[in-house]
Amino acid sequence: MIEVQELTKSYPDLDRGCFVALDGVSFRANAGEIYGLLGPNGAGKTTALRILSTILKPTCGWVRVNGFDVVQNASEVRKSIGFVSNNTAIYDRLTGWEMVEYFGRLYGIPRKQLDDRMNKLFDDLRMQDIRNVPCAKMSTGMKQKVSIARALVHDPPVLIFDEASVGLDVLVARALLDIIARLRTDGKCIIFSTHIMREVERLCDRVAIMHRGQILAEGTIQELSDRYGQDDLEDLFHDLLANHNQMHGVASE
Amino acid sequence: MNWDQIKIIFHREMRDQLRDRRTLFTIVVLPLVLYPLLGMVLLQMTQFTRVQEVRICVAGKEHWPEHPRLFESVSNSVADSPDSVSRGVEFISQSVGDELTAKMRTQARIELASGQYDLWVFIPKGGKIQPSGNRDQNITANGEELEATISNVDGIPSLYILGNRASERSLLAERRFRTMLAHWQQRWLKEQLRTHDLDPRLADPISVATSDIAPPDTRSALLWSKILPFVMLIWALTGAFYPAIDLCAGEKERGTLETLLSSPANRREIVWGKLLTVYCFSICTALLNLTSMQVTASVLMRQFGRLGIAEGLDSLGPLPISSLGWLIVILLPMSALFSALALAIAALARSSKEGQYYLMPMLLVCMPLVLLPMLPGMTLSVGTCVLPITGAVMLARSFIEGQYHEAWIHAPFVVIVTASCCILAAKWAEKQFESESVLFRENERFGISSWLRHLWRDRASVASPAEAILCGLVILVALFFGRLVSSDTVLNWDSIARSSLRTQIALVLGPSLLMATVLTRSLRPSMGLRVPRFLDLSVCVLFAVCLHPLYSRIVWFLNREYSMGSETQAVLEQLQGVISAAPWHSVWIVMAIIPAICEELTFRGFIFNGLKQKNNVLRAILISALFFGFSHGMLQQSIAASMMGIVLGMIAWKTGGVFCGLAFHVTHNTLSTFLPQWIAEESNLPTTMRWAFSRTSEGVDYSSLWLTVSVLLSLLCAAYIWTRKEHEKSNAPSTVSWLRQALSAASFARR
Repeated sequence: MIEVQELTKSYPDLDRGCFVALDGVSFRANAGEIYGLLGPNGAGKTTALRILSTILKPTCGWVRVNGFDVVQNASEVRKSIGFVSNNTAIYDRLTGWEMVEYFGRLYGIPRKQLDDRMNKLFDDLRMQDIRNVPCAKMSTGMKQKVSIARALVHDPPVLIFDEASVGLDVLVARALLDIIARLRTDGKCIIFSTHIMREVERLCDRVAIMHRGQILAEGTIQELSDRYGQDDLEDLFHDLLANHNQMHGVASE
Repeated sequence: MNWDQIKIIFHREMRDQLRDRRTLFTIVVLPLVLYPLLGMVLLQMTQFTRVQEVRICVAGKEHWPEHPRLFESVSNSVADSPDSVSRGVEFISQSVGDELTAKMRTQARIELASGQYDLWVFIPKGGKIQPSGNRDQNITANGEELEATISNVDGIPSLYILGNRASERSLLAERRFRTMLAHWQQRWLKEQLRTHDLDPRLADPISVATSDIAPPDTRSALLWSKILPFVMLIWALTGAFYPAIDLCAGEKERGTLETLLSSPANRREIVWGKLLTVYCFSICTALLNLTSMQVTASVLMRQFGRLGIAEGLDSLGPLPISSLGWLIVILLPMSALFSALALAIAALARSSKEGQYYLMPMLLVCMPLVLLPMLPGMTLSVGTCVLPITGAVMLARSFIEGQYHEAWIHAPFVVIVTASCCILAAKWAEKQFESESVLFRENERFGISSWLRHLWRDRASVASPAEAILCGLVILVALFFGRLVSSDTVLNWDSIARSSLRTQIALVLGPSLLMATVLTRSLRPSMGLRVPRFLDLSVCVLFAVCLHPLYSRIVWFLNREYSMGSETQAVLEQLQGVISAAPWHSVWIVMAIIPAICEELTFRGFIFNGLKQKNNVLRAILISALFFGFSHGMLQQSIAASMMGIVLGMIAWKTGGVFCGLAFHVTHNTLSTFLPQWIAEESNLPTTMRWAFSRTSEGVDYSSLWLTVSVLLSLLCAAYIWTRKEHEKSNAPSTVSWLRQALSAASFARR
């Protein structure tokens, strides 16, 4: 479903000359699987997912989503994904229904089909009561629901959640994780990036631990704890980062 | 490009904007309320000035003839006084001496200044005023004294008026008094004629009857056609800018842009959807303002006409429908241009607040182009119609004024220029949306030291586009001040040569050389110092010779279109005289070689190579040509030089260095400097070359035969250079082989 090969992204930077946000990242995620990207802030998760959703172009390497190349077939890739990030806000001056409808129409879904699909989505996500509320007046949780509905409206095979639970209260975050788990059972390929260990443990089938633009370790949580002899994911994560920093002569954060 | 997607985006953006209270206020409410309110205030203010009464103090009233009466106060409330000009004037009498003394004047001055009255009029006994000293000098010395009306007719006394021109009331008083005086003179004259048994009608011997062939429609059109395009375009610009900021910077700020970018709509469709929205708002704002302003103004003017404030304005009805139609026709492309510009500029901004900062520079660039047509004496011509915005406004005016013949001739030029500008602006907006660095600019902290460190650490082999543009701007500013300083140099060869060298080396080459040394790793690539092929050099010399006749014709045409002031012309002729008297070799070095070297290294070297990065050849050629053109100071020269800059840019691109352009430039400068004085004497021309020149009324010029042949030859040269593969690194000869080639060619020539 998603293949990432030697993905590199660098930016010109005033202080550092050239800043390498992604340094040869490779991974693969399959249908019916939640693939977790775990890393501290600035690890390069958002950059990687922005490339996956064709918002940014890679400097080097290639990415294939649902069989389409993100550079050559960007439009097809965008049709195959639903992208939710804390940077993808919703339009304040539209109602929840209008917001989802707008994107549904951009995906080219016929009007009747779109109506049915949206009604089902609003039922599933229990959003019928907020369908005519302007987005500006919604709570963070409601807004996140609208975002998810917007990402699911065209029933994409691939879903990308980039730190989607940031800023949500415990209840809403839990509901979000439930929705994502349900999507896996529907056979979607899901990429889930976060820096919260609990979410990874609860949700992800396989995890890649990212730091400074590189993947330090990859595998199921069981494999990782076997490989590094650490049962606790948080300790494992901390040790990996500390080792990496030590090797590259950087003070541990 | 999928139009359905564009339509969906357009509909949403429109709905979004219409739900925004700020936008609605600026675009709908403001124009509908603003003009009527302004009109009301204006009307009240004019009524206020009407009731303003002025006091005129008359000293020595008894010395003025009893009949006809002059000093009779008439209050403003008297509706139909026999003499309507005297409304609102109150005369107060003062008894002073018979002669004008310094003491009286001082006293009157103090009273004037304290506001006891607005004008002081003195009538001496026996008529004559004996001004102390030179009257003119007196006026200029203290600026207060107006003048003594010295009468030459016996029995009519003179008047001495003292006023204060810094006071609005005093000016008004003087104006009213003078009108009254003129009326009085007429009446007096008629009475005199009657007493002497002459026909009183002799006082106004000529009766003039006027009639106007312009239909009332066109009469009102003349005034409207000057004001309305200006108002309309300013609002079209404003109406484009605010939605553009909201649609780009606002979306970035609210985080919805990334949502949209991850949707199936591609960047181009997003830009066009947004562009159409901005366009709609621009047109609506302009139209609403236009209508509101016109309705208010015509109501107001009719009111003024009725009140008798502004004579003749009552005929100024609303603009005829046909004229309104022409305004709208012109509004459509102008709004498109402004919308695309506003969108591209707004895309640069990270937040709405930052976007607001960009409005002023954009206005400053567009404003002169909108204002230019309002200057008196501006007419539609080939020269003015190729200016973006200005040309379109002038065209609309010609149509409104009914000069259809003129308008239709120039319409194609305006359409081409406007369409090109619109396309370029739209492309620019698209480019902004393609650029990651523009869309995802983070709020990085800017520090001078880290920026300087970055400049030094990340030097490339050639300058960056921004550095190249900065260099061009620095040179233009330096030249502007340099010319201001050296404009009063004495006209002799020595000083001309010195100032020319100073300008070229310090102000043109200096900045680029300095920037190339500091900001790039090596002078060779950044200044384009690549050894050329001997054949290329020769072709470029030939190219310059062949292009010169066409260039001379273009310069001649430009001088005719944009006529030069007689003063400038005189200075140029003087300059030419000095140059022709100077030794030829020093003229050659100063006027032909040094400018060519400095300008080529700068414009085709540093600036061109900086702009050419990422294969942006067109941008490099155009911008370097514009900088090259503007560096020439005078408009006529600038246009011609910009055209030459394009040719030189092509040479630099295809030959990959500055030297071929240099050969072209030196040849061209040599011809321009020496040819006119050389061919002025027909005896100088060898008989074999007489066919290439012909004598016209303005002197000797290239013959049409040679012009045609040379244009064909220069096309061949251009084709040779064009077909030359750029950057033939492997074929580029080493310096040694180049020297060998040159030497063998030279020995061949000697033989």
